[in-house]
Parts: sequence; structure tokens; C-alpha cells
Amino acid sequence: MSLLPYATAAWLLGIGLYGIVTSRNYIHLIGCLAVCQSATYVLLLGIGYRRDAIAPIFYDHPPGTPAVDPVMQALVLTDIVVGATLTALLLVLALQVFKRRGTLDPQKLKPMHPPSNAGTRDAGPREAGFAGEARPEPQP
Amino acid sequence: MSPRLRVLLLGLAALVLAPCALAVIAAMPEFGTAIAPYGARINAVAPAERNIANMVTAINFDLRGLDTLGEEFMLLAAVTGTVVLLRGRRGERDGDRAARLPGRAVVPRSEAVILACRIAGPLTALFGLYVTVHASLTPGGGFQGGAVLASACVLIYLGEGYAGWRRGVRSAVLDAIEGGGALLVVLCGLGPMLVGAAFMQNVLPFGTFGALLSGGLVLVANLGVAAAVTAGFSQLVLEFLEETRAPRPDGADGGDDA
Amino acid sequence: MPNWLVLATEALPAAALPAAALPPLPVALPLLVCALLLIGSRALPIWLPDLVAVLTALAVAALCATIAGRASAEGPLVTWFGGWTPRDGAALGIGFSADAASAGIATFAALLFTATLVFAWNFFDRTHGHFQILMLLFLAAMVGFCFTRDLFNLFVWFEVMSVTAFALTAYRLDDAAIAGAMTFTVTNSLAGILMLAGIGLLYARAGALDFADLAAAVARAGHDPVTAAAFCLVAAGLMIKAAVVPFQFWLADAHAVASSPVSVIFSGAMVAMGLFGLAKLVWVVFGGSAQIRDAVGVFMIAGGAVTALFGGWMALIQRHLKRLLAFSTISHAGIMLVGIGALSQGATAGLLLYVVGHGLVKGALFMVAGILLALRSSVDEIALRGRGRGLAGAGAALGLAGLLLGGLPVGLLDLGARALHGALEAGGHRLALAASLLGTAMTGAAVLRAGARIFLGWGGRPGNEGRAPTLEEQERGNRAYWVMFVPCGALLVLDLAAPTGALVAAAPGWTRSFTGRAALPGDAGALALGAAWMPAASVGLALFLAAFALFGDRVAPAAAAHIRRLHAGPAALLNASHSGLVGDDVVWIVLGLAVLALALAVV
Repeated sequence: MSLLPYATAAWLLGIGLYGIVTSRNYIHLIGCLAVCQSATYVLLLGIGYRRDAIAPIFYDHPPGTPAVDPVMQALVLTDIVVGATLTALLLVLALQVFKRRGTLDPQKLKPMHPPSNAGTRDAGPREAGFAGEARPEPQP
Repeated sequence: MSPRLRVLLLGLAALVLAPCALAVIAAMPEFGTAIAPYGARINAVAPAERNIANMVTAINFDLRGLDTLGEEFMLLAAVTGTVVLLRGRRGERDGDRAARLPGRAVVPRSEAVILACRIAGPLTALFGLYVTVHASLTPGGGFQGGAVLASACVLIYLGEGYAGWRRGVRSAVLDAIEGGGALLVVLCGLGPMLVGAAFMQNVLPFGTFGALLSGGLVLVANLGVAAAVTAGFSQLVLEFLEETRAPRPDGADGGDDA
Repeated sequence: MPNWLVLATEALPAAALPAAALPPLPVALPLLVCALLLIGSRALPIWLPDLVAVLTALAVAALCATIAGRASAEGPLVTWFGGWTPRDGAALGIGFSADAASAGIATFAALLFTATLVFAWNFFDRTHGHFQILMLLFLAAMVGFCFTRDLFNLFVWFEVMSVTAFALTAYRLDDAAIAGAMTFTVTNSLAGILMLAGIGLLYARAGALDFADLAAAVARAGHDPVTAAAFCLVAAGLMIKAAVVPFQFWLADAHAVASSPVSVIFSGAMVAMGLFGLAKLVWVVFGGSAQIRDAVGVFMIAGGAVTALFGGWMALIQRHLKRLLAFSTISHAGIMLVGIGALSQGATAGLLLYVVGHGLVKGALFMVAGILLALRSSVDEIALRGRGRGLAGAGAALGLAGLLLGGLPVGLLDLGARALHGALEAGGHRLALAASLLGTAMTGAAVLRAGARIFLGWGGRPGNEGRAPTLEEQERGNRAYWVMFVPCGALLVLDLAAPTGALVAAAPGWTRSFTGRAALPGDAGALALGAAWMPAASVGLALFLAAFALFGDRVAPAAAAHIRRLHAGPAALLNASHSGLVGDDVVWIVLGLAVLALALAVV
């Protein structure tokens, strides 16, 4: 099956997206994003692959030996760094979410809130939380 | 939307995307038969003109060194962001003080663990250095070597305990090493311009093919990346470990947030 | 080249450098400063990072302006990194190709950063310079993104932009900021993944990464599923960044919850970068494929028109000023996308001018929001009604910026809009033209209504905007009013004082150099400005809509109540559709991807 690697990449992207959409836990969601990311690893390495060729390192083999595509390998290396940085940042955010909300459920986390009593409120300057803090309003 | 509606819409999109994906896969070049001309040319050019045996290093640090510059600073941005986002809650003041572990019994480490870490730590560090300096010969390089070096750093925590780790690993020093490594990479770019060459042009002697000191500027840039990655990853571990701790109750070094 | 630019750029010391040495400098300089700031982060006095960051951004602006001047006279400045000049007609390394338009956009970004860093002076004084490091990295990434001629390198700068943006969004560390940052990070990480997958597919077909090599391969490939899929994925990635319907759901939350200095950059420059990158790729890389050109003509015109209307409507039913401005950014992004879809030289010139004009005006507006957050502890227009009195300067700036946004026929934004109008009329895109005028009017009306309510105390009874989601927040008020107001005013002055005559003269040449080709068949290639009645009509409509929202109850109570009732249902539905839940946003992204794929498959 010569098309299997590409089909695998498409499949990984698909199930990763499915996982993100249905996720009920941020750590799981971050894992699903990593699955999507690994789709790109498979795709890039699949594109750069050549049968019966060596890794693109001419230390044990003389230069000129058929080797796989080094560009794709280098791009995957960069891609891995991207993945690592994103995972680190997302885990920080997940940690902060859990500390403040006590939950990791993406379904329970909205940035904005409906106004408490529409239109009539006239909040004074000191009514808001202390500097830089936003106070969640009660959900109706 | 309800989860059911989401899956339904996703299925709807899949009805369009799946046939498209099949058409694309069918039209892809045959798997495993040939590599792209760009890669083939690099396989020919880099050993001949740069005396580098590892093509991935040649690409990352010479032919496409600019990508690595961006990547290095992407890592720096992520580490800086992590530090800001984690420390913002704790406050900055306890940055270099050991904190306590609330509500958990402190079990003393067994001597076997301490011994194993003390043996493995230096060996791991040595291996990290080996991976870094052999960048132009064998698989590895600054990123990989830096990651290994950072794990050697974490062995200090495992072996010496939290207090030992905080004594040995200072946040300000990590900042300086990370910034210094990044600075070295930028200077590898700007330096050649001072002698009239292009940005990041490999102006140092290339050495002999297959020797440890081959590849010229590639080695210098590798050392910079290794330093930055070591300090960056250690900084990440340090900040995440702090999250398991609480400020000391005496209040002198606690965070200023609620 | 216009005289003012010659004079301005020849005075700079960098003008003496060889052409190839210039383009790397505006990227390398901020990176160098970042590394130094990090090394000294603990030792430096608190005020130093602010000063260094402002001076660095200013130096980047000067370098980019010099490059723009040189490129305008000599053609694009090309640099090959590592000295790897192309061999046998194909690139070996990475190149920068700084044409005048790209350098102009980079100059604008650097100026916006300068103003923002002044605006944020002292705001982030407790972070050991970490905020300044992130901002300078953001700037370096934008300049690299503008100049690069290598697709993977473009992706690298795209990701550096994203990573710094994620950290900056969550910076305030309250519930809302973290939730907004989470959604932003997940959706924009997906953007990166899609883009990289597209780059991989294109590499499989072309075996190259340099724009020129890719363009040749795309033209050779003709009607090809792999190239089309590559375009679909790369374009989707960039359109997520550019917040085009239905990829836009993350934006309103991220821009609303981020600190105001960060929002200035997001709305003023980051969204525009997505569109700029898309325009560049459409012209320079994918322009040779008739299949992709046709799909672009359909999808981007339709998508842009829908986005313009949708964003304008959403802006009208918001009460949280930053969220309102975020939706207006979506609307204007739609107008700019129409400029890409029109695929003519005139529309591209309009797009580039519009990017700068819109960024200046929108930046000033977010600064007014920041002033309100710092001095009045809210940006909720209903809670703030009448409480803006005493901030006359900010009120005047908001009013002027609202009028400019609504189409007031002066300044750079108006020039861009008129160039777009002219190009759309010439291209026969009547509906898209009408949509962009309506979107302009609605965003202008929303801003004017909010301004009149906050600063004049008009409009006692809120309409449907009263039921929109909001947020109680405030920002540190440790900065003097004038420190915040001066950069805000400066941005508006820059928009108004732009030498429109010189720009009209220079635009066709810059556009030709940006697109890398002469006009497509059936395109006159000249810059045709739209009729003068169009901006007048949109600003008139904006004033009317704002006045109706404020006084409709008093002037025509029955009609106002009827309209409000009719409008309440759709408004509630629209606001509810922006649930801010990450799962919903990703579903919309996948649906958008499907629509784009369908457009490519069918057209």
C-alpha cells in the first residue's frame, strides 16, 4: 500500500480534530492537538522517504549514497520544537484554569459572561475587582 | 452547541473533506520512490562544500539557518511566556527562595536513588555535550543535546531533593544562560556581516570531512542553541515544579496575589 | 519615488549600507535586544526595558523605511542567508525579498509597536522586561513574515508570532484572559498545523520551498488536486489568523480579554498580517494556477462580503467596547479579503493602503479603550454612560476614529477604501462593494454610538446591545493620561497626515513589485479611486444608525420598539453562537475548511 502513509496522516488529523471537538478535559484536548501535530510529522516524513536509502548522514556511508530527503527531516525537527513550545504554553494555561476554576472541562469555561441585569446596571469604579482582576458574573 | 450537534456538523464536513482527501492522496507522488530535487541537491552540496556529514545539521544551521534562528526565539518566547504566566500568580518576589510542599509528607530519598542520580547526572550531562559537539557528524545537535543536558539538570532534583535543586539551579542564572545562548546564535548571524559576508554566512574554516571540528560556524551556533535549550527547558521544569509548592507561611516571601 | 520618502530615508545612516545587507537587520536587531534584555533581566533598572524597547521599535521602523525607500528606487532588495545564492535557477537556502510594499507594511508594524510601547510605558513594570521581550519578538516575527520569500520560513515567523501572541493574551491572568487565551491558542495552533500540512503537500509536488520555484511548479502542475489541497490548507491557516467567517470565532474573545496594549497590536497588525500573507501567497506563489485563481475569486469575494456584514452587525450589538472593536476588526478584515479576491492590481494597492490605515485607526481606538480601562475602570459602554466626561481628548479621538472607521473621506484609511471601491466597481463585484460599504457604516455606527454614550451621556435606554456578554475589568491606572493619549493621537495624525497624492502616484509601481507580475488579463492595472459619494454615503449611514440607536426611542418610539423586537431574536442568536467554547470554534473551522475545499473542487 504505497498510499498508506498519506492516508495515516489524514486519519490522524481527522481523529485529532474529533477529539478536540468532543473533549471534556483540557489535558485530553492538548493531547488531541498533539495528535493533529503528529499528522504533520507523518506527512512530512512520508513525503521525504525513499526506499532502500540511508538516513541523510554520511558518516558511516560515503557521500553520494542514496539517502532520504534531509529537508523534510529538518522541517520535522522544527515542527517538534513548535509542538513542544505550544504544549508547554497550553499546559500552563490549563494549570491556571484549574487553579482558578477548579475544573478542566472546556465546556465550562467561557471568556465573556452575559450581563447580570441587562442595561440598568451602572457600576461604580470601585465596584469591580481589584486591579487587573475580572470578576465572573453569576450565570443565569 | 450540544456535543451531538458538533459531531453532526463534523460529520457533515467530513462528507466533503473525505472525498477531497482521497482525491489528493491518489494524486500524491508515489511513496518511497524518489526524493525532491531540493533535498537531493543538498545531499550533494553540503558534504562537498561544508565538510558536514549530517545533512540535517547542515540544513538547520547553515543552508536554512534562519529557520533555526526563528525557532530558537520561538522557544525563548515560550519559556518567557511560561515564566510570566506562572510567576504572575505567585508573584515575583519568591523567585529564588525555596517554597514548601503543603499537605504532603516528605519521604526521605533512599540512598540508592541518590547514588544512581549522582552517577547518572554527570554521565547524562556528558552525553548531552557529546550529542551537541558531534552535530556535524552524527545524529544530534544543539536542540537534542540541549534537551539531554536539561534532563541531567532535572536529575539534580531527583537526587538532591528540592532544597538542593533550588540551591543549584538559579532562575536568574538560567535567564542569563538562555539569553547568552540566544545572543550567540544572533551573533553567528550578524558577525559574518562585519567582515562583509552575508547574514549567517559560514566564514570559519570548514575543517576536514568527518573530523570533530568540521563545519565551521555550524559548531558555534550549535553551542549557542544547546546553551539556550538547556537553560530554557530547565527554566520550564523549575517553574512547573514551583507550581506544586506554596509560599512559606511567614509571609516574607509569599506572592502578593490573593 | 515620492520626494518626502527620499528626504526621509537618505537622512538615515543605514542608507549607506549595501542593498543586500539591509533586509536582515530589522529582524536581527530586535532579536539581539531580546537576548540582551533576557541576560540582564534581573539587573536592569525598571525603566530601562521600556526605553530600550521603544528605541528598538523606532530603529526597526527607520530601517524598514530605509528599505522601502531603496526598494522603491531599485526594485526589491534580495538577500540570501548564509550566502547561498540560487544555483541552476533554483534556491538552495532562504532568501528575503523586500519589495517597497512589504517594507512599507513592516514600517507600519514597527511604528504601531513604537506607539504601543509608549502607551504601555510602566504598565508592565513588574516583569523584569519579559513583556518587552515578548513584544520585540512579536515585532521581529512580523518583519520576517513580511520579507521572507521562503514558504517554510514564512511558517516559522507565523509560529513565532503565534507563540508570543498566546503568552501576551493570557498576560492579565484572570479567568477571562486565560479562557480567551486557551481558545486562541488551540485554534491558532490548528492554523499552524494546517499550514504546515499544506506546505508539506506543496513540497511533495514542487520539491522546493522558495516562492519563485514554487510558483513555477504551481504553474506547471495546472489543474492538480495536490496543489489545490496545499492552497486550501495554507489559506485556511492564514484565514484563521485573519479572522474570516467562519474562522473568526476565537478573535472577539482573545481581543476583548487581552490587555489593551496587546489588543492594539492584535487588531492593528496581527490580523492584517494574516491577510497580507494570504495576498502575497495568492499572487506570488499560487497565481499561476487558474483553478486556484477561480476559487479565490469566488470564495474570497463571497467570504469577504459575508465577513464584512457579519462583523458589522455583531459590532452593533455589543456593549463591551473592546469586543465591539474586535468585531469591527472582523468586518474590516472581510473588506480586505474582498480586496484579495478581486485579484486586480488596483484592489491589491487598495488592500495594502487599507491595512495601514485600518491599523492606525483601530490601534487608536483600542488605546482609547485602554485609557477608559485605566482611568474609568470599565469598557462597558452602558456602565460607563456619561462617565467619560473629563476625558475630552479621548472622547474626541474616539469620535474622530469612529468617523474614520465609518468612511469619513480623509486620510489613509479612506484612500485605501476608495481604491478598493474603484477596483471592485471595475471588476463588477457590485454586491461585495455594497457589503463593504454597509460593513463600514455599521462598524462606524457602533463606535460612534458607544462614544456618544460614554463621553456625552446620550442614549439612556440601550437597545439589543444591552443583552450582549460583557466583562468587568480594569487596568492599572499608574500611567499619566497624556502618556496614554499622545500615542493614540499620534496614530490618528499619521492616518490623517499621510501624503495621499504621493501614495496614489507610487502605489501602482509598488503593487506591481509586490505581486511580482503585470496585471492579469482584463485588469487595467491602474489605481482607480471609487466615486466620492460612496464614503460619504457610508459615513452618513453610520451617523444615522448611531443617532437612531441613541435617540430612536424619543424620535420614533413605535418604530424603534418594533425594530428592536424584530432584531432581538437574531441578535441573541448571534451572540449565543459566539459561545467562546473551544469545541464550537474548531467545528466552525472544519466547516470553513470544507467550504473552501468545495470551492476548489467545484470551481
